[in-house]
Amino acid sequence: MEVKLLTEHYDKDEFQGISGYKKLGGYEVLKKALKMKPEEIVAEVKAAGLRGRGGAGFPTGMKWTFLPNNGQPRYLLCNADEGEPCTFKDRMMMERAPHQMIEGMIISAYGIQSKKSYVYIRGEYTYAARVLENAIKEAYQAGYLGENILGSGFTHHLDVYRGAGAYICGEETGMISSLEGKKGQPKLKPPFPAVSGYLEKPTIVNNVETLAAVKYIIRDGAAAYKKHGTEKSPGTKLFSLSGDIRKPGNYEVPLGYPLKDLINNEGGGLKQGRSLKAVIPGGTSAPVLTAEEAMKATMDYECLAQMGTMLGSGAITVIDDSRCMVDLLGVILHFYHHESCGQCTPCREGTGWIDKVLNSIIHGRGRQQDVDLLDQVAKNMMGRTICALADAAALPTISFVNKFRDEFEYYIREGRSKVKGSSYAEMHH
Amino acid sequence: MSRLPEPKVNWYLPAIFTGLGITMKKMLWNLGNRSKMQTLNYPEEKYDYSPRFKGTHILTVKKDGSLRCTACMLCATNCPADCITIIASEHPDPTVEKYPISYEIDMLRCVFCGFCEEACPVDAIRMGPEWQVAGKNGSNFIYGIQDLAYRPQLKGGIQTILDDGERSKAGI
Amino acid sequence: MPKCTINGKQIEVAEGTTVIEAFMKLEQNIAHYCWHPGLSVAGVCRMCMVKVEGNPKLQIACNTKVTEGMVASNEDAKVKEAVEWILGFHLINHPLDCPICDQAGECGLQEYYMTYGKYDPAMAEKKVKKKKVVDLGPTVVLDSERCILCDRCVRFTSEVTKTNELSIFNRGDHAEVGVYQERPLNNNYSYNVVDICPVGALTSKDFRFKQRVWYLKDFNTICNGCSTGCNVKAYYNENGFYRIKPVYNKEVNGHWMCDTGRDMYKFVNLEKRQTSAVKNVNGTSEEYSPIQATREIGVLLRKNVNEAAAVLTGQYTSEEYASFFATMKDFGIKDFYHWVNNPEKMEEFDGLLLRGDRNPNTAGLRAEAKKANINLRNAKDLDPKKHTLIIVAGPEVQAFYPDLQKSVDAWSKSQTLVWLSSCKNPVLFAAHWIVPMKSFVEKNGTFVNYKGIEQKIKKGTTIVGEALSLDEFAIAIKGERVDVEYTSPLGGLA
Repeated sequence: MEVKLLTEHYDKDEFQGISGYKKLGGYEVLKKALKMKPEEIVAEVKAAGLRGRGGAGFPTGMKWTFLPNNGQPRYLLCNADEGEPCTFKDRMMMERAPHQMIEGMIISAYGIQSKKSYVYIRGEYTYAARVLENAIKEAYQAGYLGENILGSGFTHHLDVYRGAGAYICGEETGMISSLEGKKGQPKLKPPFPAVSGYLEKPTIVNNVETLAAVKYIIRDGAAAYKKHGTEKSPGTKLFSLSGDIRKPGNYEVPLGYPLKDLINNEGGGLKQGRSLKAVIPGGTSAPVLTAEEAMKATMDYECLAQMGTMLGSGAITVIDDSRCMVDLLGVILHFYHHESCGQCTPCREGTGWIDKVLNSIIHGRGRQQDVDLLDQVAKNMMGRTICALADAAALPTISFVNKFRDEFEYYIREGRSKVKGSSYAEMHH
Repeated sequence: MSRLPEPKVNWYLPAIFTGLGITMKKMLWNLGNRSKMQTLNYPEEKYDYSPRFKGTHILTVKKDGSLRCTACMLCATNCPADCITIIASEHPDPTVEKYPISYEIDMLRCVFCGFCEEACPVDAIRMGPEWQVAGKNGSNFIYGIQDLAYRPQLKGGIQTILDDGERSKAGI
Repeated sequence: MPKCTINGKQIEVAEGTTVIEAFMKLEQNIAHYCWHPGLSVAGVCRMCMVKVEGNPKLQIACNTKVTEGMVASNEDAKVKEAVEWILGFHLINHPLDCPICDQAGECGLQEYYMTYGKYDPAMAEKKVKKKKVVDLGPTVVLDSERCILCDRCVRFTSEVTKTNELSIFNRGDHAEVGVYQERPLNNNYSYNVVDICPVGALTSKDFRFKQRVWYLKDFNTICNGCSTGCNVKAYYNENGFYRIKPVYNKEVNGHWMCDTGRDMYKFVNLEKRQTSAVKNVNGTSEEYSPIQATREIGVLLRKNVNEAAAVLTGQYTSEEYASFFATMKDFGIKDFYHWVNNPEKMEEFDGLLLRGDRNPNTAGLRAEAKKANINLRNAKDLDPKKHTLIIVAGPEVQAFYPDLQKSVDAWSKSQTLVWLSSCKNPVLFAAHWIVPMKSFVEKNGTFVNYKGIEQKIKKGTTIVGEALSLDEFAIAIKGERVDVEYTSPLGGLA
């Protein structure tokens, strides 16, 4: 069953503008929050057990407590660089309810006592950026942003920064580099952004959905928020359902919701006459699940981690039996090869290598040893780079090759896909 | 080790006649069996060496006729007789980059060991089948690029298997 | 002061020391490309993997700080396998350029391949093709294909010279080092990027294709290009000198040296050298052996003791000055002059290494003069008409003396002008005597730099066998015996 917490008013067009938003209870939570102490907000978020919704799933409250108390200015960055393939939840949140996110950001900024925040929005989201900029203007006019917000003495400024179309700028340190005006490349950790981030000042980077959820935690209190979801993964989450499914779209369900139900009920099931082959549960960088595994999976951090995959950004890609896994991996790796920033050698060379091997296989020039080679190259890229892009390319490779080894071997042996009529090579030649 | 005892008789004539006897015997045998004779009538007749014979060096050329040599100096480094002198220079074509403007082998110092051929990473130097090296004085034995790559016997040069441009195109 | 264990060896290091620095301190081998002690940490080559006990993931030694009780090792099989693979990643798109690459023989990739090479290449795909022989500026040539994108050169131009000419363009495996349009790599420290490049991507235009590095011998000495006195390594073989590279000295030059200093080898090779003594009388030149010439000058000097003067430049060693001053005082000469090449620029400093005083031993000259109780006067005040004999210990690097011609012409108005010079120069033929001197690579001695740090120069080889040093000249001028080599191992004229 869908639980509409964040997405409650998304079907109403007026929710986009400030007047409609206020009519539906907007900015009331901000008033409440500004009467609380900043520490109480952090404590509340921590108590709610909110985990980052961008992909890594790091507990938000805990991240906030990492900020050093050294009197330096702090920055809050909203990560709206939704680059993970098949993810489109942040876009909807920004287009439908920009004020919801802005309110969440002001509350969060008050919690961590930041005077300046940025929304780093993906360059391709021109419409969302326009909506957001308009909403910020409205919020300034209404006095929710700027000096001395609602007479509380709290000052906060918010700006939108548009990216230039790099996947790597969705990585928090890559985003900070880009925001600083440098080439968008991840920085070495440690130091972590919470200690030395934007302009070498303490910085918190949170996802759009995370910041929006903060609003509801403060509104209802941690205990009420924890009623949704499971013990260890509380709250609701937006899932972007796509692929071979009848009703693709964003669905908000409590964490711990069975994947089977999400596909069959919310997603409307598979297309006529098709059977499920695999599901990628958390964006293309998450290891793939076979149909059997997918039927058992529940959508929470723990269950998916146990199955060797991850919740990631919550982008569920459903793959039916008309798809060739070799072609699919080829497309995925082409993306990571293209998006590798080129700093760390294992990722720069490894993504290209895997992409080229897959390309050779797809064009009928595969060698028997290539299957093991793919697995080995991927395993040796993993965990050996500054950021997680190498892992993001390696994890799907390892899982695809190991779980669908027969398809790879068939492709190499026969020079064509095991699944008829789906060959990438056939499409392009 | 003990030495051989000195001969008791020091007459030399018996030994002279023994030696002449051997010569005569061989001459008479050769006159009777001319086809089995061990010697050649050089220079009218020439001995055929095996194809793996290590004779005078050849510098191979590319399809366009230019030298294959990249002036890496590995042959000169490997040469036990220190007889190879190369001067390298910048080539206008960036895929070639480096080439020899002078390549000299001192044939009188060369011991024909073939180490240069083994050291060469690009099949630029080979040991050819020729072995007649003649010259009127010492300087005639220093072979330059003209002699090594384009002497008349080579009929315009021996081509290598692969050249830089092809290698570059093949993505090697 | 945390204590740690590196490859089983205990060490105590300063707070904030990284693991790779601890490895270096213990002289343990650790593979690395992007890390350089003189630059910031980039952490991109991923070669310096170590296993830290208690951490399941391998860590890079360059960005991991030593903590109390840390146990780190790079001898573990897991580390070795990781480094093998990472080196493999470095090599998959690296061209097979070793035969034409200047770096071959001192290349980081070749070096580590011997230890960590996989020897059985698994890569069967086409390599990424990039630009070759890219002109970065007047000194450096780039080969993008060979580049491993370690970022050292980029960090050098941004952190050391702060000129920011270099940058990495594009991303992924198409990333390339390059310069911005119409802003070539053109600073006086540009050759350092060639030194720090661990592969053959950046090569020096000056050294390019001149020699294979394995034909070169080297020795450590001091640069004679200015009063900073950078520690350098000079590379030579039987055909002469080929290049000069900096050697680390924390007190003097750190890791770097300037491009001006790198040209210093050009003045010592045979083709630039004065090989025998020359007497110029009435437009005719007569060749002498240097010793013979010096003895004849000695005879002249005895006749003109009262009217003789000596002019010195700061380009000789302290020992030479001491011996020269002693001898001249024995003769009874009172007038000593100091020839300063560019008095108005003496105090200049480019902020990094190069100083306006282009003489390596001005401080040594002044100190020795003081010791010998000699008042050094400025050579500008020298009146050639007052002196019947002038001995000039001329500069070794004549290019730094813009007033060379003017001075020779002016001083040659004296009855006898004796010019001691290591380099030949048609300008000098106005002098009545020219005596060949040794260059800084042919003698032992001391240079005192601007800070007063005494540094030893070392004899590396002999180029002009018969050339004299200033102290040998001082002995010979007295008519005493000097042992000089009459043959030169570099094929020079004896």
